[in-house]
Amino acid sequence: MQLTINGLSKTYPNGTQALKGVSLEISTGMFGLLGPNGAGKSTLMRTLATLQEADSGTAFLDGLDLLKDKKEVRKILGYLPQSFGVYPRVSAEEMLDHFATLKGIHNSRERKAIVEALLHQTNLYNDRKKMLGKFSGGMKQRFGIAQALLGNPKLIIVDEPTAGLDPAERHRFHNLLSEIGENIIVILSTHIVEDVSDLCRNMAIIHKGDVVLSGVPSDLIAQVNGKVWQTVIEPETLETLSSQVKVISTRHAAGKLRVRVFSESNPGQGFESVSPDLEDVYFLHIKTGETQPNLIAG
Amino acid sequence: MFKYIFLFELKYRIKRPATYIYFAIMLLLGWGLGSLMAGGIDIATANGLTGGGKNFANSPFNLHQYLISFGQLFGTFVVAAFMGVPVYRDFQYDAHPLFFTKPITKLDYLGGRYLGSMVFAIAAMFMMGIGFYVSTLMPYVEPSKIGPFRFMSYFNPYLMSIIPYTLFSGTIFFGSVALTRNQLLIYLNAVIILVLFSFASNLANELDNDLLASIIDPSTGVAFLKETEYWTVAEKNTLVLPLSAKTGLNLLLWMSITAALAVITYIRFPFTQAFDTGKKKATTPSALPPMVSEPEIIESMQAIELPPVSQEFALNRYLAQLWMLIKREFKGILTSPIFIAIASIGVLMMITSAAFSGTISGQLFGTATLPVTYQILNLLNSNFHLFMVAIIIFYSGELIWKEREVSINELYDALPVPNWLSFASKLLSLLGIVALLLGVIMVSGIIIQAVQQYFRFEIGLYLKTLFGYRFIDYVYIAVLAFFIQTLVNNKYAGFFVVVLVYMFNSLGLGLLNVEHNMLQMYSDPGLQYSDMNGYGHFTWPYFAFKLYWGGFFIVLGLLTNLLWQRGTESNGKARIHLLRQNFTGGSWAVLIGGLVLFIGMGSYIFYNTNVLNEFTNSEQQEEESADFEKKYKKYDGIPQPKITSVKLNVDIFPKKRAFSASGTYLLINKSQVAIDSVHLNIDNNQEFSKLEFSRASEAVMIDEDFGYRIYKLSQPLMPGDSIRLNFEQKYETRGFYNSGSNTSFVYNGTFFNHGYFPSIGYDRNFELNDKEIREKHGLAERARFPSIDDTVAQKFTLISHDADWIDFEATVSTEPDQIAIVPGYLQKEWEENGRRYFHYKMDSKMVKFYSIVSARYEVKRDVWQAPDGREINLEIYYHKPHDYNLDRMMVGMKKSLEYYTQNFGPYQHRQVRILEFPRYAGFAQSFANTIPYSEAVGFIADVDEEDVDYPYYITAHELGHQWWAHQVIGGAVQGFQFLSETMSQYSALMVMEKEFGPENIQKYLKYEMDTYLRQRTAERVEELPALLSENQLYIHYNKGSVIMYALKDYIGEDSLNAAMKRYVAAVKFQEPPYTTTRDWKRYVEAVTPDSMKYVLTDMFETITLFDNQVKDASYTEENGRFKVSIAIEAKKIRDNGKGDETEIALNDYIDVAVFAREKVEGDWKDKTLYFEKQKISRSVDTLTVWVDEKPTKVGFDPYNKLIDRKPDDNTRRITVKKDN
Repeated sequence: MQLTINGLSKTYPNGTQALKGVSLEISTGMFGLLGPNGAGKSTLMRTLATLQEADSGTAFLDGLDLLKDKKEVRKILGYLPQSFGVYPRVSAEEMLDHFATLKGIHNSRERKAIVEALLHQTNLYNDRKKMLGKFSGGMKQRFGIAQALLGNPKLIIVDEPTAGLDPAERHRFHNLLSEIGENIIVILSTHIVEDVSDLCRNMAIIHKGDVVLSGVPSDLIAQVNGKVWQTVIEPETLETLSSQVKVISTRHAAGKLRVRVFSESNPGQGFESVSPDLEDVYFLHIKTGETQPNLIAG
Repeated sequence: MFKYIFLFELKYRIKRPATYIYFAIMLLLGWGLGSLMAGGIDIATANGLTGGGKNFANSPFNLHQYLISFGQLFGTFVVAAFMGVPVYRDFQYDAHPLFFTKPITKLDYLGGRYLGSMVFAIAAMFMMGIGFYVSTLMPYVEPSKIGPFRFMSYFNPYLMSIIPYTLFSGTIFFGSVALTRNQLLIYLNAVIILVLFSFASNLANELDNDLLASIIDPSTGVAFLKETEYWTVAEKNTLVLPLSAKTGLNLLLWMSITAALAVITYIRFPFTQAFDTGKKKATTPSALPPMVSEPEIIESMQAIELPPVSQEFALNRYLAQLWMLIKREFKGILTSPIFIAIASIGVLMMITSAAFSGTISGQLFGTATLPVTYQILNLLNSNFHLFMVAIIIFYSGELIWKEREVSINELYDALPVPNWLSFASKLLSLLGIVALLLGVIMVSGIIIQAVQQYFRFEIGLYLKTLFGYRFIDYVYIAVLAFFIQTLVNNKYAGFFVVVLVYMFNSLGLGLLNVEHNMLQMYSDPGLQYSDMNGYGHFTWPYFAFKLYWGGFFIVLGLLTNLLWQRGTESNGKARIHLLRQNFTGGSWAVLIGGLVLFIGMGSYIFYNTNVLNEFTNSEQQEEESADFEKKYKKYDGIPQPKITSVKLNVDIFPKKRAFSASGTYLLINKSQVAIDSVHLNIDNNQEFSKLEFSRASEAVMIDEDFGYRIYKLSQPLMPGDSIRLNFEQKYETRGFYNSGSNTSFVYNGTFFNHGYFPSIGYDRNFELNDKEIREKHGLAERARFPSIDDTVAQKFTLISHDADWIDFEATVSTEPDQIAIVPGYLQKEWEENGRRYFHYKMDSKMVKFYSIVSARYEVKRDVWQAPDGREINLEIYYHKPHDYNLDRMMVGMKKSLEYYTQNFGPYQHRQVRILEFPRYAGFAQSFANTIPYSEAVGFIADVDEEDVDYPYYITAHELGHQWWAHQVIGGAVQGFQFLSETMSQYSALMVMEKEFGPENIQKYLKYEMDTYLRQRTAERVEELPALLSENQLYIHYNKGSVIMYALKDYIGEDSLNAAMKRYVAAVKFQEPPYTTTRDWKRYVEAVTPDSMKYVLTDMFETITLFDNQVKDASYTEENGRFKVSIAIEAKKIRDNGKGDETEIALNDYIDVAVFAREKVEGDWKDKTLYFEKQKISRSVDTLTVWVDEKPTKVGFDPYNKLIDRKPDDNTRRITVKKDN
């Protein structure tokens, strides 16, 4: 199964150009879409999830036209939007059953079985009678995942599912997603680098509506191997420094500033080589051409 | 800090564009209103709104009335917007912690917000007045409608009503939103307030106590009406509403309540930061506290193995989903507190108003009708209609925005269901709610009937009316609301637009003179149920129009579905793109189906309303009348022969709503000159296959458009010579009209008259009357009525300009289960060719005024024996279940015959027949020995012992006409109706008094006096003295009753009747010139003592009013007797007919009375201790009267025999005993 996105563009009526000719090839497994807030991730996700129109470009899942044949797309789609609400006075079980019916699962025995299974899988079984209004953020996200898994989705789109979750919750999420992501396409958008490095077979970095990089995470890291350097400086010298070298990221540490820079060769000035991680790749690509150095992940 | 908050609010408002939009709306409203009232569109509209005549558009009266009703109707929403938002705003944007942590007090915060907003709410209201003022300066207004500008005319309504109203409603809006933080309440409140207000006004109108009614009505409308009800045009144009007990106490009460509400809001408002916003927002994960980690659960996670499922996507599966969604939405609405609140208020109001009005519309003289099903349905439907519309409008918005408001919409939108599922489920669940409420109406109706001891429940009629007829409109309104909400795509703007479109459709089009029902959404030609005729012929045109609109709403529904918001695109371009994308083959089918229905039915309707029948709006009708007059006025008064005999053969076809007829007139030249040509007037809607004179003649002029023809006779008709006119004609009902229908021809209850048959010569009664309308069509001003001295007009009666007294004979046939009746006596009845024939012949002279009636009847018979031994047959032809009041009518006929025969002279016929006809008209009418009597005015009256027995009264009145109109008939000049109507009123009053006693008559006369005093204020030309009345109903009926009863009191029943009897004997069945009120007066004057002659002048020859009252009363006890002092104030006023009044000197006999209370059969009643006419010549005086018992009440003209501008202050209780 192959999802082919070609030249997808979208400009909002207020002039914001959310997508500028995005092209991507996505095959089965987890695919991470990484980018800062406002990069165009959600626009891309919503477009693939039939909720938004593209100005131009195409998206095909094998032979299926995602932009035109919405009816068919929805039959194989599992979607978890970036933020969503729930009816506060309905129980999780009832709501899932409701969505299951709307997903076309009409056999009540099957429906009951899948709802129960999903409640178990998302560890909501004990709270299944609880009103959704009483759910915590994590429980609600798990409910969201459960509803996205109803039916037999072949394409799962989850938009920033881990935003705001504590580490344990996020961990649970990763497990759940990677298990189901074996034979189908799961597109996960996030601005958290770890989500991608932990989970995804393939990834792309999207920034200001452009795909700035795509590939296998380990390959991408390998490309900058030996070119990332780190040192600790006084905060007030940062300005001088950034005019001399390409700063990837800075981090406060005990009154000082730990700086990582990109350089083909040793920049000297007390820098020492470090082994790069995905975060370095990410910051390197989204900061190209920017002057503000204070982007901090998390 | 108060100042800071206050100024902050002001500054905020000044910066907001919404403020200026609201101001502009109110300005435009005022301007539009003023333009309409000042003749900006046309003078008829202006007259309709202002009361016409010399009423100025900008008179203090009109300004008060309209600024308040517009202010309440529209301004309420603006006030709601200003007053509901301020506190809500802080919560909406989560700004409240910022405010609440500042060093300000609750009073500063609430007070500043409240006053700051109130300033703008009141200012918005003032915009309306300014707009109105501007409109009066416009070049297009009718100068005669504009009076001089006076500041107080504009300002007083604000002072007395609008500002208090704004404070009151604004405080409710502010308080309820501040305390609940529910934004929906802002708009809902406005609707609820309006409905409650109209309910309060209705309730207040039901009350007998004017003061109480004025006080409890928060809109001040009742106080205004009560205070101004007897104002003349001159007063309306100059006086502003005074601060009186009624208005003052009203203000005091409602301003106190306002203050109390403000205090409650202040006390209950929680001024803390930890304050639940009340609204369930989509909680974003970041706003929630961190989760406790659960590592052991993570460890236990297994590889995912989900059970296999099969998904099915087929129509039957979608329908199953639809049903599930409908159930969910239906349950959702049903259990929402707001729905429960609106629905229960609605039901409560519906039931209480039914209970309060005793029953029902059609109340006459305070006497109710039986709660028959159609009446109950009318009442409940009209009471509940606005609630239903409000529920539809609100829930269409609520349902559409339901998912988006909790941000669950993206989950739903990505589901594999078709687009229509969501729309259909929401629409159908709302319609389910509507159906449920209609069921509630039905149950309420049955309960109301049962409580009133009426058990003829017509379940079928309930079901048919509510679910067959009413439901359709609600379906269409719902589709309209869904469409607008979808199109506008903003919930609150959506509400506003829906309300605006609804108002424009139901009110605005009418104001713009758009009358065709094909242009007013979901309208129809009207529907009127009659017990006799059911929905009858109304049914098909009604459904034809509904089908036509059905086509329209199918297309609208399709567009709604295509535009249905799915996904996150909300800008117009993208939505149009989506619309195209959604437009599939199925859409084509629906679109074409809808259009075919719309255009097909539209063409069919147009063919019916505009081709088969003529569609004329009121403007075109005027023009036609004007053209007719311009063309043929020249023939007015030329010598023409008169009809002296009418012979008819009429075949009625009730099922086809048609008749065919042949007939012969005998015409005699009663003039002094030879007549060479005869002018015929025929109904141009009928087909005349034969119009032939018994003498050779030639049609020299045939005008098909106006039905006017001139036949030249080969030999002129010499004076005294006669000629026959033979004719054959056919009336057919062709299709249906845009509005209404000809209800003379119906399936059961045909009732038509001589007007359908040819008449001779030009009839000036069809000329336009209204001065402005005549002017518009280029016609000179015309006297409303010929002067009493017009000797030409005296030669005709108003009933027929082409005949004096005729012989009459007719054979009528109808369907075999119906009985056909015309004046005369039944000679023979037979069946032939499956039809039933009746041959009637009148054996004495009668006026050319006959009715033809056919219906399925039951007959009740009785006989009355005249003193001379003659037997008079009494018959009532009635609709089967309507046997409730037959005995009252029977007794009424007997007593009337007895009184009239004794006092006015013998009855000219051998029979009286009352014929019930459907309630499409609400009158009874007297023809020779025949009285058609509407089912609405007596057959279903529910008369209690204390009530005015109006079936009896109407019977007596119509019987009176057998003397007054059918024996004595006046010339077609001023005072004509005095001789027919006033005399019949007097006759009926006397019969009633004999039967029910004077107290009952007083109850009746109270209505008559009140009606006279109120309606005289609406006079548009000139109020005339009774003897000169020009078809002015309030004079010849209402004033007539009062003054005739008083005259009888002043000169005595016996001498008055003796004079009348002599008068009848002298003028009955006279040939022209006909009698006038001058003759009548001469006979009455002859029996009036000189000392009372002034009464005749005051009551009959001038317009004289009194303002009499008891100022104070006390008594002292002396030797077991009681000396009563009565301080009176008397005022006698002459009105010149234009509302200009002058006080004139008193020298009048006026009743002075002293009463005690006594218990008669368990009830307290007045006992008269003293009752004398005293001569009063001083306007302020103290009268002394001695009585033998302890007095409790005194009266000065206590029974309102004189016309009194304030009838209520003529009696006074004595509570204080003076100690001397």
